[in-house]
Amino acid sequence: MKIDIHVHTKKCKAGDSEHRYINAEHFDEIIRLTDVKILAITNHNHFDLVQYQEIFNLAQNDYQIWPGIELDIVEGGRRAHLIVVVNPKNVEPFSQKINELLNGKTSDNFTITLEETVKNFDSYDPIYIAHYQAKAPNLLDEDVNKLIGLVSNKKRVLKEATNSISAGIYISHGHNSIYGSDIHNWNEYIDISSSLPDLRLPVESFEQFCFLLEKDVATINTILDKKTKESIELFPFYSDPFESVNVSVYNDINIIFGSKGTGKSDILHALSKYYNDLGFKNKVYESSAKTLEVTYDLKGHTFDKNVLEFDIAECTQELKDIRNSSEKNITSLSSYLRYFSIDQTNKISKKLKVQDFTPLDEPTSARDFNEIATSLEQVQNFIKYIDSDELIQEIIGSELYLELKFVIEKILIRLKTESEKRIIDLRSISLFNQIINVFVEEIAKKTGQPQKPISTGFGKYASNRIKIEKDLRKVLVNISKTIPPIVEYVGNLGDKGKLYCQTNLVIQDGKFINSDFTPVKKVTKNPQRNFANALDVVFKYLYTNTLFEKITELNQVEGSEAINNLSDLLIFHRHFSINGNKYAPSSGESSMVLLHNELLEEKEIYIIDEPEKSLGNDYISNVIVPMLKEKAQAGRKIIIATHDANIAVRTLPYNSIYREHDIKGYYTYQGNPFTNSLVCNNSLKSDLDWKEISMKTLEGGKGAFGERGKIYGNS
Amino acid sequence: METHKATINRENAKTSLCLSIGDREFEIILTEDKPNEVKSVFNQLLLELKNREFNFVLEDSNEDLFYHICLEYISQLNAELSSIYNELKDYDLLNLDE
Repeated sequence: MKIDIHVHTKKCKAGDSEHRYINAEHFDEIIRLTDVKILAITNHNHFDLVQYQEIFNLAQNDYQIWPGIELDIVEGGRRAHLIVVVNPKNVEPFSQKINELLNGKTSDNFTITLEETVKNFDSYDPIYIAHYQAKAPNLLDEDVNKLIGLVSNKKRVLKEATNSISAGIYISHGHNSIYGSDIHNWNEYIDISSSLPDLRLPVESFEQFCFLLEKDVATINTILDKKTKESIELFPFYSDPFESVNVSVYNDINIIFGSKGTGKSDILHALSKYYNDLGFKNKVYESSAKTLEVTYDLKGHTFDKNVLEFDIAECTQELKDIRNSSEKNITSLSSYLRYFSIDQTNKISKKLKVQDFTPLDEPTSARDFNEIATSLEQVQNFIKYIDSDELIQEIIGSELYLELKFVIEKILIRLKTESEKRIIDLRSISLFNQIINVFVEEIAKKTGQPQKPISTGFGKYASNRIKIEKDLRKVLVNISKTIPPIVEYVGNLGDKGKLYCQTNLVIQDGKFINSDFTPVKKVTKNPQRNFANALDVVFKYLYTNTLFEKITELNQVEGSEAINNLSDLLIFHRHFSINGNKYAPSSGESSMVLLHNELLEEKEIYIIDEPEKSLGNDYISNVIVPMLKEKAQAGRKIIIATHDANIAVRTLPYNSIYREHDIKGYYTYQGNPFTNSLVCNNSLKSDLDWKEISMKTLEGGKGAFGERGKIYGNS
Repeated sequence: METHKATINRENAKTSLCLSIGDREFEIILTEDKPNEVKSVFNQLLLELKNREFNFVLEDSNEDLFYHICLEYISQLNAELSSIYNELKDYDLLNLDE
């Protein structure tokens, strides 16, 4: 929620920019594109009641519009500007008063003194905002002091700075300060609006804003209580299990701060346990506890992958078959010699021509049948699937379903017919070959003559080699496949680029040498490489007499018994990368990314211990603090133990828990920047000043106050 | 399908079956049992079979014992060559570019 207490809607003076002019509709349109929820119209020596009311009506309850004026003040011969913003309830008398004062004068020649200003406007419940220092034309300190002396409520006098930095400096010196856009060109307003002050507490009215200026505790607590608050009694300390700590936790930012050794981390762990017990899963994020390398398991202790995930066949059966393969014997030439050397004398056997038949090609027929059998099985499975899936039937409807069934049934009939034909062929050939065999055997037995060889053995011999080639080709083709790296986004390192965690996977083919790579499975590197090389050798010797010697060598590769499939040949190397190049993030960069990722996780409770560790102020202020505020706006509970003022102050926490230790023991205080107080839980000690303690206790406290551009956290 | 010549080489000490494919000749000794040598020939035949389908025809006029042996052997071998060619084809193991 942003506030702009200095808005022009018109070119009133000769020196004003023409681009200051804006009508009510356009004004409304622009404001709705910004986060600005409160605007004060402060034209130079001019107030247009009609336009104010037009804007007021358009704003409805989406943003507040407050009436005001930027006056030309003359004091001691000096000219300066003073903004007067009044309670919207008094808009009509305020407008009337301006008309009276301006009677006969123009915006260009109108001037007024401080006395007259207060005399004419103080009854309209105003806030005075003086141009100050660099914001020219400015009132001097003596003028501001004079104004403070004249007004009925000195807390209503603010100093207008030029930007958040100077406003923060004034605030750190005890001056209430604010700044507005002082818009010159409405075309630039959306961009400018992002740098306007944030209202950390949701201000609902002009009156509430004024109460906040006075740090009215009741008002602040009313606003704070709109957030859910939970009071928790913890017993966080092992050293004294009976020591209780009572804390309130808002569904907003809760800061725990205090000197080292005051038990902040123990309180965080106790809160974590408390919420986990309630079922809100959380953990205490400790920046130093884990490195990026461990978080992303760079050494791959838990990494596991199978080649199937990359559409690569495991080849388990093929490897097994290759390893178990053995040479097929061929028919000896002497068996032919023996058979043909002896004349057949048995008259009956001579008549049995079946012994002279050549066996038919059974393997080809078997393959033909298996082919159709597979197709038939697939179609049958498809029908089963369609029949079992009621959703498909429901979606396609009964007509289409029956049509599909009809077509599939027709296909099945044809496939079955072809299948029957092929099985008959196969069985006939098989039977025929068996008959030849039986006759040849029986004739030999009965006649006592040598058995006729019915095959040279080439078929079985060649078939065996072909099977090995087929298996080996499949293995080698799959081994040669490349696996694309697995890339996971880690975080943004700003100017350096986006950081990724890259896992490179390779199937060891026997030639790959890179000491960064380690096996994915429980296999060692040398057996992987030697086994893959041995497979290559087997392939080279496929059609030689020494093939089975090479297969024996493959089986004898030391450690290769652990290799049963291609996943066992997987090796990997995981590293971080930026723009595709290997990158080793520093410890600071690691902390940055880890904390950022912790905050990117969607959860109800974030418990963070010292997020500032190893992080630069810029990163905390520019990235982490806005993220924390965003979570808080979404109603998440954020509990942070910190020594860093950038976090403890810039987040303007709803709740600050301060831990203090003295000779008598430990004390817990709670408070917030808005009331600027810290109240001791057990009333043993008097209240503390939030700002003073923050500046004293936190690292970078003074700087954080000096640069702060927020309001309502000041004292 | 190509048909190649098979001949019988009768020498005093040994008789062998010679299978010719182009300018290459593979010899199977009939009078000795040397399975490894026969396997070597089978390996070569298998490699040739990857390039094209072929069979053998025996060219010999001397109808002695070896003639009958070789006639039977060639007949069986031709049937097996044809079956293996089909197998190579079915498993896409033929050298298509040749």
